[in-house]
Amino acid sequence: MAKQTLPFSQKLFRALVRVLPFDFRTNYEGEMEGVFREQHREAEERGGLLGALKLWKETIAGIFTTAPREHWQILTSDCGYAFRMMRKNPGFTAVAILTLALGIGANTAIFSVVHSVLLRPLPYPQGQQLIFIRQQETKLGIPDMAFSVKEIEDYRSQNRTLAGLVEYHAMSFTLFGHGDPERVRTGVVSANYFDLFGVQPLLGRTFLPDDDKLGAPPVLLLSYEYWKNNFGSDPGIVGKTFEMNDKVHTVVGVLPPVPQYPNENDVYMATSACPFRSNKMHLEERDMRMMEVFGRLKPGVTVAQANADVSTIAAGLKAAYPKSYPENVGFTSSAAPLREELTREARPTLLLLLAAAAFVLLIACANVANLTLARMAKRERELAVRSALGAGRSRLLRQLLTESFLMAFAGGVLGLLLAYGSLDLLTDFVGRLTPRAREIHIDSGVLLFTLAAALGTSLVFGTLSALFSRANLASSLKEGSTGAGSGYRQNRVRSALIVCQIAFSFMLLIGAGLMIRSLIKMQQVDAGIVPQRVLAMRTMFNWSKYTAAEKTNVVVQKLLDRVKSEPGVLSAAISSRYPFEPEAITGGPESVSFQFQIEGRALEPGQAPPVSTFAAVSPDYFKTLGIPLKGGRLLAETDIDKAPPVAVINEAAKRQFWPNEDPIGKRVSGDAGDHWVTIVGVVGDVREFGLDHPPTAEFYASQAQNAQPSTLIVRTISEPRRMAEALTRAVHDVDPQTAVTHVLTLEQARYESMASPRVTASLLGIFAGLALVIATAGIGGIMALMVSQRVREIGIRIALGARPASILQMVLGQGMLLAVLGVGIGIAGAIALTGLVKSLLFEVPPTDVLTFSGVGLTLLAAAALASYLPARRAAAVDPNVALRAD
Amino acid sequence: MTKKRETQSFLPLTPAMFHILLALADGEKHGYAILKEVSRRTDDKVRLSAGTLYGNLARLEGAGLIAESDRRPEVVLDDERRRYYLLTEFGRDVAVAEAERMEEALGQARAKKLFRKPKLA
Repeated sequence: MAKQTLPFSQKLFRALVRVLPFDFRTNYEGEMEGVFREQHREAEERGGLLGALKLWKETIAGIFTTAPREHWQILTSDCGYAFRMMRKNPGFTAVAILTLALGIGANTAIFSVVHSVLLRPLPYPQGQQLIFIRQQETKLGIPDMAFSVKEIEDYRSQNRTLAGLVEYHAMSFTLFGHGDPERVRTGVVSANYFDLFGVQPLLGRTFLPDDDKLGAPPVLLLSYEYWKNNFGSDPGIVGKTFEMNDKVHTVVGVLPPVPQYPNENDVYMATSACPFRSNKMHLEERDMRMMEVFGRLKPGVTVAQANADVSTIAAGLKAAYPKSYPENVGFTSSAAPLREELTREARPTLLLLLAAAAFVLLIACANVANLTLARMAKRERELAVRSALGAGRSRLLRQLLTESFLMAFAGGVLGLLLAYGSLDLLTDFVGRLTPRAREIHIDSGVLLFTLAAALGTSLVFGTLSALFSRANLASSLKEGSTGAGSGYRQNRVRSALIVCQIAFSFMLLIGAGLMIRSLIKMQQVDAGIVPQRVLAMRTMFNWSKYTAAEKTNVVVQKLLDRVKSEPGVLSAAISSRYPFEPEAITGGPESVSFQFQIEGRALEPGQAPPVSTFAAVSPDYFKTLGIPLKGGRLLAETDIDKAPPVAVINEAAKRQFWPNEDPIGKRVSGDAGDHWVTIVGVVGDVREFGLDHPPTAEFYASQAQNAQPSTLIVRTISEPRRMAEALTRAVHDVDPQTAVTHVLTLEQARYESMASPRVTASLLGIFAGLALVIATAGIGGIMALMVSQRVREIGIRIALGARPASILQMVLGQGMLLAVLGVGIGIAGAIALTGLVKSLLFEVPPTDVLTFSGVGLTLLAAAALASYLPARRAAAVDPNVALRAD
Repeated sequence: MTKKRETQSFLPLTPAMFHILLALADGEKHGYAILKEVSRRTDDKVRLSAGTLYGNLARLEGAGLIAESDRRPEVVLDDERRRYYLLTEFGRDVAVAEAERMEEALGQARAKKLFRKPKLA
């Protein structure tokens, strides 16, 4: 009979039937078509087009109710079978699930951080409209010079792209009226600050426009945490009063538990209540900059438009106030999404860790695929029998995928638990990089990711193992029971997987190695001070009592005398900051920058003025910290406020500003020539802002001539922490209203300053360690398998006179060949990926020869060890037993 | 006893299954014939589509209620090889158990005079 082209209805039916499982179709498709054809013919004869439509409706409904049922049936039987197989091989199952759990767990943990910190929108209504505005002095390398009150007014009135613009600065004040005087972290904000962020108060109200007016009665908002921890969530807190800065402050509300940017604070006050912000100087001086500025875009406005808007305003300011914005500093301003601003520092580290975690998962996948292939070799006969009994190939593939998914799913659940357990640690770590850390949690997005990771993992290793075993099903029935014939091709695949594992492990180990090397380098850096047995404590005088410099100097002198009389104290100083101070490290050198002019040295047009960092210190500062004098003299007790102003500079400043002359006796001015400061001495360089920051030019001015006492620094004879209590008592003896906080030894501060690279190195180290263990176990496993498959061949070789030593060498050589190949590819990969770590390294090139050779040798040694055991077993093969075995 | 328990585990049958078993009660049939017989006997009230028919056949066969017959069509006019199904002994037991179950339910409905026509108000 001539073959006819199929009528359209048949084609459509055929397409429809494809939703049914493959095996079902193989069994019934032909007959179903036959039945449908007859039904269709009959329906058309009896009911015409309407009849045919009715049939279609029933047919479609029938197939779509049958298909899920059939699929489900196969799934349950596959799962049951898979469970039986897993129970039969508990060792294999446990190793595979554990490997996957480690891989998936590492990824889930890091992803939960990336998701919460980098991907999720800010937890405020229309958070994407929030922007951060900064003014820069590009030629001075100052990326964020803060804003003055005058500038904020200008930006607020001149912008055309913002729905609102608010200011923020953080202060630390002493709060009286609630037990002991307490130092509270205070955010000073515009009245519409919380409206702009879209935060509704939990109790009471937020600030009103009137709160911002000068002379308004001071009001406070409490943060949720402060209210909960210090007032036991007292519902009647609104209306209570406290004394701060010699004024009565009334609590008007409590904030909900929202993340606070850019810092966490205990309380918030309106700008009029801040004694600094509301003094005449800050209100009138365009150059008194201390505030940060946030804005909300008008609907439909892009960040780029706002960016253009604020830079236009900056250009206008430059033209209107040339004295405040000299041509030579490169003044400009820009706007960036707030989310980006808050995570700028964390991004490279987190992306590196995510890549590392992905590598671990890839290695885990390759390893489980290998384990599965090895087991498949044992199961080949079983699969071949099932295939011969009529199970379709896709049916077997489906079975294998079900098994691998079940294992990946179990691994995923376990991995989720691992990730959950590590979350606190990660939050603590990421907290050093971004204020968003406290938002880190596992939510539905992370769960979806874990599920996707498990599904992807099972697809990768399931398909790998299924494809490579399937090819050999037909042949395996014919061959010997060891499945040796199919072994060659399979072994090639397995070897390739091993090579990949080694290559990825190598790259991870390089990452970890480089980080560890740079950490060691950092630790070896001479910071320029002697940090042992030095204690620093933040000592904030109740400033409202000490308004005049004379009064301050008297109390400072009294304090230093009292502290020095304490037994066990070698020397003591007071200063505006100290090396490795956590706040200074976060803020960087630009937070304490000092712009000045040198007497008798005119600037070329367009040339940037000199800039350095600045600290106000008492005379014994250098002795207490062990900073050596290099020329001239140190500050002296006689350099008091009535005496001519003097300063000491460091060697970096000498190199930068007086490279070929003696700076002693030279004069500089920070206020355009109103006052001149004479340089009296040069001291050694100090890495003030972290060990990885090369020393910058520094001016140490006399504390007595500059006020700003904030930190007491004490060198002790014995363990300084044991002195903390006695020293706090000494401070309170002098003035009981002085708050003592942030008690830290300099060694602690130094250690803390390296926290971020240290945690990055530890996490990478853990990942790399995992990878090394998995890869080594992989090599050992495959070599053992190869040996057991080749027992006959080895037996023959030995029977023909091969010496055990040469057998040992042969097996070992094969293992090492894989390792060498893996290391080779790893080197290429690591070199290609150097960009990822470059920014995180300190004085170590990303292609550091020592790290590369060290890691290479470690991996090769591990591979040699892993292949040695199977090699020894091979060498010990008894030819008589081996040849009899089959 | 065990046989009874085994048959009970299939009850109640879906209408489609019951009618397929009934259709095979008087002899083996191929798929389309089953479909025709069911629709004729129920006055088109139970209509099977190709999907539901073979889904049910697969499950009945898997459970051993029906089996494929050895009989092959002698001369076929179309090029499909039709399979014939027959009711197994066990399948007959299950169908009988289902019929009995329905009979019992019917008896109870009668006892409750469920079929009495309501009086018109």
